[in-house]
Amino acid sequence: MGKSFIRISVLFVLLIFLQIWLFNKIHLFGIATPLLYIYFLIKLPVTMNRNIVLLLSALMGFILDLFDYSLGLNMLALVFTGFLRYYVLNFLAPRDIFEEYSPSFSTFGRFLFIRYAATLILIHAAILLTVDTLAFIDPLRLLLKIVSSSLLTFLLVVTFESIDFDIVKR
Amino acid sequence: MRNLINFIQKNSHWLLFIILIALSVVLLIHNNEFQRSKYLAVFREVAGRVYSVSNSVESYMNLKSTNADILKRMSALEQEALGYRRTIELLNDSLREKGITFATNEDVHYRIMPARVVNNSVNKEDNYITLNKGSLDGFKPDMGVFTPKGVVGVIMSVSPHFSIVIPVLHHKYHLSCKIKDSNYFGSLTWEGGDPENTLLTGLPSHATFNPGDTILTNGYSPVFPEGIPVGVVEGALNRKTGENKSLKVKLFTDFSKLSEVMVIENIFKDEQLNLEKGVQK
Repeated sequence: MGKSFIRISVLFVLLIFLQIWLFNKIHLFGIATPLLYIYFLIKLPVTMNRNIVLLLSALMGFILDLFDYSLGLNMLALVFTGFLRYYVLNFLAPRDIFEEYSPSFSTFGRFLFIRYAATLILIHAAILLTVDTLAFIDPLRLLLKIVSSSLLTFLLVVTFESIDFDIVKR
Repeated sequence: MRNLINFIQKNSHWLLFIILIALSVVLLIHNNEFQRSKYLAVFREVAGRVYSVSNSVESYMNLKSTNADILKRMSALEQEALGYRRTIELLNDSLREKGITFATNEDVHYRIMPARVVNNSVNKEDNYITLNKGSLDGFKPDMGVFTPKGVVGVIMSVSPHFSIVIPVLHHKYHLSCKIKDSNYFGSLTWEGGDPENTLLTGLPSHATFNPGDTILTNGYSPVFPEGIPVGVVEGALNRKTGENKSLKVKLFTDFSKLSEVMVIENIFKDEQLNLEKGVQK
């Protein structure tokens, strides 16, 4: 428990700082912004209590919103994604492991992890960007934004996953 | 009863989910009021400090081009000032011949203060800018922000050391502007997307324009004086909006490279607003 608590906290702080200082300023081709902080939700232990997952999502979203001057936006998207994560896991996670473990290439296998991560990334980007653009409705641009931002985030998640961070990985 | 408690315990995540979603929706709807509130000043201060750290590196890297811009602007102003000095001397001379003494008017209408951008976004649908000065430096909500190139926005809220600006790139911001030569006026808005392209709406349908015409502030709102550059007309918008005409306007200000800005305070703003309010009653 102690080890995984430290790992989760480090990931939480690290991803928020990266987002605020780096990724929020990236705006590739005028449409794509990496939303790497969703990696935090992806890496939470599979068996973690669902209420705790929801509270952590809300907290992370709220902190990001304070820095973005967009109260409620990231929080809404992360809580929704955190809620749906359980069902995605139920559907995709291998059932033959019983102890507490984090989704990763080694625990899930490459194919399953990529499907799981891509699903969460897409859900999150779709909710976040749709709510953000409610004021101006331009479906094509919105779709382009969702797809390109998800793709960029996905590439970053795979990169992160491939690098062997001792603290992030088990 | 026990069944009910059991049910709630079993489904507590649903309850928590609904509460959290409701909370975020409330926050989302009232975001603008919350951003203006004094209670969030502490968070603005914290966010400002965090952004200053990352900005100190960035602004150092931009120093060269910023310096060049300032020098260019300075020489232009210097030349303008020389011209004015010459005119005043000529005027004074001719007045003296007629025996009139010329009292200089010490009352300035506007005060201009410099500030630096510590955080800025262009990729959201509603963007905000953080400046490195706040209420301790005399900054107040509703003061105008611009650069030598063009208009930036208006201060929304302040903390002791930082202020938050609503730029033109925000769907709630409308700037009163006019076409330079014809003086037709309309309201400048942004419809999201490209941070350079905005719309000037609400022009009368008989308004004439040419692509390449300059758009300036018209001084009707007490935030900006008349004649601050805004952008250039690219063409008419082929969208029927009743009696009105809309133009596509390309902004002069490059929001993705914003670093040094000027904040302008209208000293007689409250007086003007109070007078206007009195008439409306």
